[in-house]
Amino acid sequence: MSIDWMKLLFALLGLFIVLNYGLLQYGIIRRITARIGKRIGMPVYQPYIDLIKNYAMRSQITHGVMYYLGPVFRLAGGVGVFMFMPLIFGSELWSNYSFSGDVILILYFIFFGMLGMALGASEGGHPYSFIGISRGLSQFTTVEVPFTLAVIAIAAQSGSFSITEIVAAQQGGIENWNIIANPFAGAAGLLAFLGMMMAAPFNVVQAPTEIPIGPPTEYHGTYLGMLQTNRAVLYIAEAILMVNLFFGGATNWVELLLKVFMVSMWPVFVGLVFPRFRIDQSIPWFLKIPLILGIIGIFMI
Amino acid sequence: MVNPVHIVSIGLAAAFLMSLAGKRQQNILAYFLMIAVGAMSFISLQWLMEIYSGGAGREVFTAGFKPPFAINLRMTMDEAVLTSIINIFGLFSIIYLFDTFKKANNHLLSIFIIYLMGLNVMVMTRDLFNLFVFLEIVAIATAGMMIMSSDKKGISAGFKFLIASSVISGLLLLGTLFGYTYTGTLNIDMMQALPLIKGGAVALFLIVVALVLETKPFPANGWALDLYTSANHGVGAMLSVLSAPAIMFVVYKMLPVIPQDWQLVISFFGIITFAASNYLAIRQENIRRMLGYSSVAQGGLLLATVGLADYLGGSFYFVALGFLLTNLFAKAGLFWLGGIVNSDNMNKWGILRKKPVLLLLFGIFAAALAGLPPFPAFFAKWELVMQLGAGEGWGWIAIMLIGSLFEIAFLFKWVGRVFKAENEENAPANFAMHKQIPALLLGAGIIAASYFFIDYLNFNLTFVLIPLLAIAAFFVIDYAPAFIKNILLIGALSFYGYMIYPELQGDIMKLVFAGIFLIGGVLTLFPGFSAKGARKGFYPFAAMTIFGLLMLVNPADNLTFFMGWELMALGSFILILRGKMAEKPAFRYMLFSAGGAYVMMAAFAMLNNISGAEFFGNINIPANTAGIIFALLAIAFMLKAAAIGLHIWLPGAYAEAEDDATPLVSGVLINSGVLGLVLLVTSFGPQTLFGYDILHIMGWIGAITAIGGNMLAIYEEDMKRLIAYSSVGAMGYIIFALAINTKLGLLIALYYTILHFIYKTMLFISAAGVMHRTKTRNMYEMGGLIKSMPLSFIVVLIGIITLAGMPPLAGFAGKWMFYNAIILKEWYIQGAMIFFSGIVAFLYLYKLISSVFLGQLKDNHRKVKEAPFYYIIPQLILVMAIMVLSVQPQWLMQPLSTIIPASFAGEALQWDGNLATLSTGYWNAFTIMSVVMAMFGILFLWLVYHSRKAQKVKQFNIVFAAEKPFRPETTHVSYNIFAAYKKALGWMVTPLATRFWERLSDIFTAIADKFRTWYTGNGQTYALHLLIYAFILYIAISGGKLL
Repeated sequence: MSIDWMKLLFALLGLFIVLNYGLLQYGIIRRITARIGKRIGMPVYQPYIDLIKNYAMRSQITHGVMYYLGPVFRLAGGVGVFMFMPLIFGSELWSNYSFSGDVILILYFIFFGMLGMALGASEGGHPYSFIGISRGLSQFTTVEVPFTLAVIAIAAQSGSFSITEIVAAQQGGIENWNIIANPFAGAAGLLAFLGMMMAAPFNVVQAPTEIPIGPPTEYHGTYLGMLQTNRAVLYIAEAILMVNLFFGGATNWVELLLKVFMVSMWPVFVGLVFPRFRIDQSIPWFLKIPLILGIIGIFMI
Repeated sequence: MVNPVHIVSIGLAAAFLMSLAGKRQQNILAYFLMIAVGAMSFISLQWLMEIYSGGAGREVFTAGFKPPFAINLRMTMDEAVLTSIINIFGLFSIIYLFDTFKKANNHLLSIFIIYLMGLNVMVMTRDLFNLFVFLEIVAIATAGMMIMSSDKKGISAGFKFLIASSVISGLLLLGTLFGYTYTGTLNIDMMQALPLIKGGAVALFLIVVALVLETKPFPANGWALDLYTSANHGVGAMLSVLSAPAIMFVVYKMLPVIPQDWQLVISFFGIITFAASNYLAIRQENIRRMLGYSSVAQGGLLLATVGLADYLGGSFYFVALGFLLTNLFAKAGLFWLGGIVNSDNMNKWGILRKKPVLLLLFGIFAAALAGLPPFPAFFAKWELVMQLGAGEGWGWIAIMLIGSLFEIAFLFKWVGRVFKAENEENAPANFAMHKQIPALLLGAGIIAASYFFIDYLNFNLTFVLIPLLAIAAFFVIDYAPAFIKNILLIGALSFYGYMIYPELQGDIMKLVFAGIFLIGGVLTLFPGFSAKGARKGFYPFAAMTIFGLLMLVNPADNLTFFMGWELMALGSFILILRGKMAEKPAFRYMLFSAGGAYVMMAAFAMLNNISGAEFFGNINIPANTAGIIFALLAIAFMLKAAAIGLHIWLPGAYAEAEDDATPLVSGVLINSGVLGLVLLVTSFGPQTLFGYDILHIMGWIGAITAIGGNMLAIYEEDMKRLIAYSSVGAMGYIIFALAINTKLGLLIALYYTILHFIYKTMLFISAAGVMHRTKTRNMYEMGGLIKSMPLSFIVVLIGIITLAGMPPLAGFAGKWMFYNAIILKEWYIQGAMIFFSGIVAFLYLYKLISSVFLGQLKDNHRKVKEAPFYYIIPQLILVMAIMVLSVQPQWLMQPLSTIIPASFAGEALQWDGNLATLSTGYWNAFTIMSVVMAMFGILFLWLVYHSRKAQKVKQFNIVFAAEKPFRPETTHVSYNIFAAYKKALGWMVTPLATRFWERLSDIFTAIADKFRTWYTGNGQTYALHLLIYAFILYIAISGGKLL
C-alpha cells in the first residue's frame, strides 16, 4: 500500500487546526459559563497551560498494561473519529481518510476510545472509576438510540451512509439542510448530541462533586494530558459530524468552524439552564421524547 | 417340526406335575420349570426359523375335526414371533425371578406356566370361545401371580383385577353367545359376515368392547394401574410386555370382522390412551405406578397401530414391530431394573450409578422408550407420523406428539434423578447376578433390534452409518483414560472431515456448517486434555453430539436430518446433565428440545405430502404455498436458536454444563438452529400464514430477541450465564438477518454465524480456563486477573471487541452490513432495535472483562496461574482467525456470496480489492486497520517517550480520599454494577417468558393431579368405569344406531 503523503500532510494539518480550535473553544466555553455564573473565569488560554503542565509532569505511576494503554486507546479513538471524517465539502485533500468508511464507521469508532478508556480506568482499580464507567456506558446506550434513528432517517433520505453524499444532498440553500428538511430527525439528533457531549444535565458520568471526575480519577500527568488532547479533538470532531449530518456541512474552514462553534454552544446553553439528572433519570429520558422524535423522523422519509 | 399344540401340552403337563410335587423340592422344581418353558420356547423358535426361511406355517386341528366343529390353532409368522417372544421372555423371567421361585410354593410355579401357556393359546387360537376361556385362564393366573408380592395392596389389586376381568368377560361371553347365534360358528375366520347380519353388529360390538377394555384403555384402567403398582417387578414386566401384546394380537385377529370405521375409532381411542396416560405419568412419583402408566400408554400406541393396520398397509409391520420390540426390551428392562434397585422412590435410583453398566442400560431403555434414535420406536414413530400425515390426520399427529412430549417429560425427569440423586453413604450396591444378566440381555436385544431397523432403512454409509458406528465405538472404549479418548475423538473427527470433504467440495453452504461443527468440535475438545482420570460418560455423548450435528449437514432425506437432530439433542442433554447442579436445567433443555423436535416432525409430515421424503434443504417450495410448514419449522429451529420466549432453557443449560463442555453445547451446537433456519429461508422463500408475512414476524422476533438477550446478560453475575444470554442476543441478530431475506441479509446471517461461532467459542473456552483456575463462576469473586492470566485477557478483549462490532476488528463488518441492509429493506424501527441491542451489549461486555480481569485482585487468587496450555491453544487459533478476517474479510465473504441464490432480492455486496461497496455505503477493512494501527502506534510511542519513568505501583496505591482501602472485596466494584440501569430499564427484563412456561407447566401438572383422582382405588368404581367406557365407545362407534 502506497502512502499518499499529500493527504497525510493535510490530515495532520487539519488535526492541528482542530486541536488548537478545540482547546481555544474549551477556554471560551469555560469563560462563558463563568460569566453567566457571575464569575470571572479562567483565561481563555488556560487549556494550553493545563496541557503543557500535564505533559511536563514529573512523577508518573502505572497500575499495569491496560491502565497504561487506556489513554492511548482514548486518544486514538478521538483522532480516529476525526481522521475518518470529511471536513470540507468538495475538497479531496480536506476529506481526510473518509474513503475508508462511511458514517457507520464513525459511529462505531467512537466506541473504540470509550472502551479503551473504560478498560484502562478499570485496571486502576479505583471504585470511582468503575462507578463513572458504569454510568457512562449506561447513559450512552440510550443516547445512541435517538441518534441512530436520526442517522438512519437522514441516510435513508439521501440514499447513502456516505457523509460526503449526505452533505452533497444538503447543498443549495438552507432549506435543504437536514435540520429543516427533516426537523424531527434533526431534533432527535440534537437532543442525543447533548448526551454525547456529556454536558449538564447529562454530566453525571464525571460528576465532579460526588465522584471526582469519574473514570479518569486515577489518571494524571501525560495520561491526563492525552485525555485532555482527546477531549479537544473529539468534541470538535463530533460537532463536525453534527454539522455534516444536519447543518449542510461546510465548503470552507471559516464556515466549518463557525458552524461548529454554533453547534457546540447548544449543549453549553442547555447545561447552563438545566441542573444535572441522576443517572436513572437520564437513562430513560432519551427513550422518551428524543426517541419519539426519532421515530417520527423516520416516518417523515 | 414339533406340533405347536405341544406348547400347550407341555405347559399343562408341567403345571400338573408341579402341583403334585409338594413343597420339599422347590429348588429342583424351579429348574424343572425352566426346562419346561425352555421346551416351549424351543418349539416356537423352531417355527419361527422355519417360517422365516420360507417354510409354510401350520394349521392345527384339535380333536381331529376341521372348524367349525373343533378348535383350530394357527402357527404363521405372526404367531411364531409372538409365541417366541412370550416363551423366551418367560424363560428370562424365570431367571430373573429365580430367588422368588425358589422360595415360593409349588402352586406359584404352576400358575406361572399356566399363565404363559394361556398367552400362547390366546395368540394361536382361531376360536372365539376358546379365546374367551384362555383369557379367563390368563386373568386368573395373573391374579394368582399377584400373591407373589404377598402384601395387602397386592392382594387387593389382584381382587380388583378379578372384578374388572369378570365384567369384561361377561361382555365378551355375551358377544360370543350372540355371535354364535347369528353365524352358527365360533371360528373367527368364519364370522366375517357378522356385522352384516341384522343384530350381528351388537354381538360384534360386545366382543370388540371387551377386547378393547382388555387393552386397558384410558380412563377405564384404574384396575390395571393398581395391578402394576403393586405387582412384583417381574410380574409387572410380564403384564406389560406379554399380556398387552397378546391382547393386541387378538384385536388384530379380529380385524377382518370389524368394520373399517370401527377400526379407526378403536385406533383413535388408542392414541388417546397413549397421550392421556403419558400425561398422567408426569405427576407420578412412584416408579412402579409410573411404569404402569407408561405401559398403558404403550399399549394405547400398539392398539392405535393395530387399529390402523389396514390403513398402514405395507408399513404396518414396520411400525408395529418397532413399537412392540421397544416395549418388549425397554419397558421390561426398566421394570427389571426396578427390581434390581428395589425401590419405588425415584431418589433411591441414584444407586445405579455405582454400576456403570446398569446406568448405561437404564439410559438406553429410557431413550428407547422415549422414541429417540437410533432405537426402533424412533423409526416406527416417524413412519407412523408420515403415514398419518399422508392421510391428513393432523389431529392424530398432534395428539400423538403431545403424548410423546409428556412421555419425554416423565422419562427424562427420571433420568435426571438417576444421574443426580444423592446416594446414601455406604449404600450397598451388590445386585444379584441372576437379575442383572437378563436385564443385560434385554439391552443387547434393543441394540440388535436397532441394528436391524437401521439396516433395513438403507441409510447412507458415509453420512449416517459411519457416524453411528463411531458413536457406538466410544461407548465401547469408555473405560480408556480420558487423554486417549480425547486423541481418538479428535482423530476420528479429523479423519471424518478428511473423508467427507470430497463429497462436500463445491457446496460452500455445507462446507461452512460442516466446518463449524468439525472444527468447533475439535477445538472445544482440546481443553479436555487437561482432564484427569477416565472421565467416564463424557466422550460417547460428546461424540454423539458432534456426529449428530454432522448428520445435519448433508442428509439424504428428512428422516436422516431428524435423526441427527435427535441424536445431537440426546448427546448434549447428557453433556449438560453431567454438570454439578444441572438436573433441572438439563430437564428443561430436554423438554424444549423434544417440543421443538416434535413440531419439526409434524412439519415434515406435512412436507411429505408436498415433496416426499426429499431433504427440505434441497428442494424449492414456491413462495406463499407452505406457510404452516414454514412456520412450524421456523419455530422448531428458533427454539434451538433460543429466540426470545423460547429461550428459557438456554442460560441454565449452558451455565450448568461442565465448564469445558459448555463451548461445545453452546458455541457449536447452537448453530444447528441457524443451519435449519438458513436452509428454511433459502428453500422456502417468503411464506405467508393467515395473510401475515412470516418473515416479517420473524424480523420482529429477531429484533426483540436481540434486545432481550443482551438486556438479560447485563444483570448476570455468573460468567457463563452472561455469555449464554449473549448467545441469545446473537441469535436474535441472525434471525433478524435471515428475516430480511435479501442477498445482503443472507450474507449477514452466514457471516454472523461464523463470527459468532468463533468469538463465542473463544469466550467460552477462555471463561472455562478462568473458572478452572479460580474455582468460581461469580464474576464479583474474581478481579485483577489480567496480571496472572494475560493471554486469557487478550483473548477476551479481542472477543468482546469483535462482539461489540467495533472497528477495526471483524465484528464491524457485520454492523456495517446491518445498517445498509435495513436501509435497503426499509425496516427502520426493527433495525434501530437491533442497534440498540448492540450498544446494550457494551454493558455486559465491559462487566465481563473488567470484573474478571481488571480491578482488584482477590487475596485467594494471588497464586492463580494462566489457564492450562490446552485451553489456550484453541483460543489462539480462533484469535488468529478473527485477526485474518479483520484485515481481509473478503476472503470469507466472497465465497459466502457465491452460495446466495440469485433468486434472492436486493443488491449484492461488491468488492473492489479491499473496498466493499453497496449503493448506500462503503467500507475498507484494510485501510481502517492501517490507519488505526498507525495512529495507535504513534500515540503509544508518544506516551512511552513521556512516561518512560513510570513506576509500577502496588494494588492499593490509589487516590482514595481520607481512607485507606483495606480489602480487595470492598474496593472492587462489580456486584450489581448496573444497578442504576436496572432501576431505569429493569422493566424490560421482567421474566415474562419464564413465568409463562412455569405457569403452563403448573397448570398441566395441576390438571394431571386432579385427573388422577379419577382412579379412586375402589373396585366397584373401576367396574363402573368399564361400563361407562363401553357406553362411550358404543356412542363413538355407532352414534347409538346399532340397536
